[in-house]
Amino acid sequence: MTTSGPPERTRLWSRRETREVFILWAVLTVLLVIFSMTVPDALMGVQASNTMTAVERTFTILSVAASPVAALVWAIALYSLVRWRRNGDWTPADEDGAPIRGNRGAVALWIGGSSALCLFILILGLAALQVASSPSENPRIAPAQARNPLVVDVTGEQWVWTFTYPQADVQTDQLYLPVNRAVVFKVTSDDVIHSFWVVQMGIKVDANPGETTTTQTYPNRIGVYDVRCAELCGLLHADMETTAHVVKQPQFTAWLKANQTRSK
Amino acid sequence: MSTVDTAETQRAAQPPAGGLMRRLNMGTGILAGIVFAFIGHWVATSMISANPDEAPSGVQVASQVHIITMAGWAIGFMAGLGAFAGPLRWVLGNDITHADEMFLAGKDQGVGRYFRFTTDHKVVGIQYLVLTMTMLGVGGTMAMLIRTNLITSNSGFLGPQTYNSLVGLHGLTMILATIIMVTGPFGNFIVPIMIGARDMAFPRLNALSLWLLVAMLPVLYSAAFMGGIPTGWTGYTPLADQGPGGVDAYLMAIILFAISTAVSGMNITTTVLSMRARGMTWNRIPIFVYGVVASVALAIPAFPMFMTAEVLLGVDRGLGGTFYVASGGGQPWLYQNLFWLMGHPEVYVIVLPAIAALMELTAVFARKPLFSFNAAVLSIAGIVGLSVMVWAHHMFTSGWATALNGSFMLTTELISIPTGGLFLVIVGTIWRGRIWTTLPMMSTYAMLWNFIIGGVTGIYLSDVPLDYALHGSMFVTAHFHYTLMGAGLTGAIGALAYWFPKMTGRMLDKTLGFVSFWLVQIGFNVTFLGMFMVGMEGQPRRVVHYDSVFATGNFISTMGAYVIGVGMLVLLYAVVSSWRQGELAPMNPWGAKTLEWTVPNPIPLENFPVMPVVTEDAYGYGKPVVAQPEPEPVPVGANVDSGTGLHGDAVGEEVTRSSSSSADRGTT
Repeated sequence: MTTSGPPERTRLWSRRETREVFILWAVLTVLLVIFSMTVPDALMGVQASNTMTAVERTFTILSVAASPVAALVWAIALYSLVRWRRNGDWTPADEDGAPIRGNRGAVALWIGGSSALCLFILILGLAALQVASSPSENPRIAPAQARNPLVVDVTGEQWVWTFTYPQADVQTDQLYLPVNRAVVFKVTSDDVIHSFWVVQMGIKVDANPGETTTTQTYPNRIGVYDVRCAELCGLLHADMETTAHVVKQPQFTAWLKANQTRSK
Repeated sequence: MSTVDTAETQRAAQPPAGGLMRRLNMGTGILAGIVFAFIGHWVATSMISANPDEAPSGVQVASQVHIITMAGWAIGFMAGLGAFAGPLRWVLGNDITHADEMFLAGKDQGVGRYFRFTTDHKVVGIQYLVLTMTMLGVGGTMAMLIRTNLITSNSGFLGPQTYNSLVGLHGLTMILATIIMVTGPFGNFIVPIMIGARDMAFPRLNALSLWLLVAMLPVLYSAAFMGGIPTGWTGYTPLADQGPGGVDAYLMAIILFAISTAVSGMNITTTVLSMRARGMTWNRIPIFVYGVVASVALAIPAFPMFMTAEVLLGVDRGLGGTFYVASGGGQPWLYQNLFWLMGHPEVYVIVLPAIAALMELTAVFARKPLFSFNAAVLSIAGIVGLSVMVWAHHMFTSGWATALNGSFMLTTELISIPTGGLFLVIVGTIWRGRIWTTLPMMSTYAMLWNFIIGGVTGIYLSDVPLDYALHGSMFVTAHFHYTLMGAGLTGAIGALAYWFPKMTGRMLDKTLGFVSFWLVQIGFNVTFLGMFMVGMEGQPRRVVHYDSVFATGNFISTMGAYVIGVGMLVLLYAVVSSWRQGELAPMNPWGAKTLEWTVPNPIPLENFPVMPVVTEDAYGYGKPVVAQPEPEPVPVGANVDSGTGLHGDAVGEEVTRSSSSSADRGTT
């Protein structure tokens, strides 16, 4: 029933463990921030649209913001294992730990800190959502461009994607897009629910039977990308994938023309 | 009311060995279940074929036959088991006698009571434990098959049909098992003793909830012989509408499970509300009880949603309804909404009691009071409140009500505040503790590691634009395994190791426990960090083969999964061998202060020879800071050892407990 050590009234900062945990926390935070700034970008790969650029940026910012929180919990856990671990088993004669039943300051600081972080990620997310759901409000896109997006009708059926270009009367099973032009996908399904996902462009929306859903982006990098189905849609779900080609505008026009003739 | 109270008022004694009820057990249940299933099958087939003019489509016929057959099995099994004996006797005006109640409680029966409709909460707790471990074993085996198939990009180990079915069955088995894994075994066995009750409020409903799950298992796994559940555990329509007979098994299993959960939830909630010992005020109830009540109370509104969703699906499949069929004016988003109205609270149904168990045992093994009991309770309450308002974050990409995405992002991210509160409580309890690194305590540390990762990755997914990129990918799979397995299952294993001595009377083998702990935790992190990797690279969930760019991450995941598998086998061996011939446990091996450690091993039928009176909470470690104003004589204190146990070498610190001077106060 007796507890050794200085009285509880001692200021928190003057305690040895506070300072040591602080140092450990700072080190872990730095390590986690370095991890956050390098690994996610590397894993998520090429950014084929401004949407994906925003996605990777948000991922990094959230990781950096979460780093001090994770570091604090892990620092205290690690420190307690090293410093306060008991040697051998407990026996009834052993002393108990300090009877700390709470600390208003710590609770207030914790809740205040987590609320502030929560508010921060919320504002960040809402702003990003605003841009993602209407690329025309993205300052990096020319207004004229945004007003005249390319429209692609996407239809999922077990287990193929069909892309229709209503402005040009073309239908294909591979997606062709001109670079640096806003594009709007109108997605629907003929049977079950599929999910239209252009991986490197960071966009995804479900294809629902009887409904049309919309997603949009602004491809800004020439290349060949992956289109996958992200909703289990039956037997050959894993095979429901195709490619998205982002090409220069003249090539795109030529491709449209070539396919128009072929389909007629 | 306890059965002892009615002993004086009963009428003339009934013949002690009489009654059909006493001859019923699991065997007669299975027999009656099979008979009823055949009757149901015959009725269904003959009824439908009698109406050739109005013959519905082939899918509908098959679906009707499946559902009626399975309902026949469930009703027959429960009847043959004796589940309806009580109500039946009551209807016949021939109420259950005291002797009957004692029989139902399993008095003086050997192992046989574990195979009967036994009402003793301790028997039900053990039955739940075995059931949960069985289900986790089945689900784990399926996980091994899934990971084996994914070892290379196109291994061909499983065909797409088998693979999709396994994914659905694995998911459903694990979700159902993890929902019951803490509140079932420990909520039934430990909670009544923890609050100083002699049994649950409704002992027969308690047995009913358990045996409904047993009845559910053959229904669920019959899916494997009827085309499987190729829809994933979510059973999204219209894929489920066109699915094979396995989907009928899926929906019947969910209906049985939902009834069981409702019964169990009401029972546990009522028990805690009304059966607490004298002096067990709300601020003295151990935090684990709060976690269990939060879990089961949350399940009460959640699971009826699931059941409704599946009843409507049954109508669609069996009776040609169009609730979810767009061409018939139905709406697949309706299913998704009903499903996730259950599906997100369900996550906390799983995680809350596990984390509450870890909080409980962290105080014991840090030898410190819980850091800010109020923050712990408020955090649990906050999570419960918010968790029913976040369901549509599972539907950000579905296209349903995109205007609401921002609001659901708000409610989802708000959950991080009370969740942070849980971390604060545990970290604060560890702070300056005297850490005794037993297996339960190690589980707390593992949870601190895993749940931070699970929580932070949850924040990414709550961010709508990020979710547009990550939804439906392996990233999501890794995220929820980090929460449900990394926090939930780790907590359940911690709870098992912690309460093992009380539940079995023997100590869990320490060495084997540590070996399995490290294998499982290392394997777990390898598996799911690899899965985060392929998810961020763009691998969709639930694919039988994948692009070769994901090969490295998948190989890592599979290797990790095998390590988990070995670790779980070691744990299983440790549990079985320790249960059979482990070292006998003292009454209170951990020096804990909650009431369950004041009853002897083995625990007598009605737990407490003398009803306890509680004078303070269970966290009076170190200097007692919550002192009574005046020392009062206490017959049997909350933390004072009562009775004489078989292994009466329990620790007692009763001397200073209620007589601590007020001079010790104010030290925080």
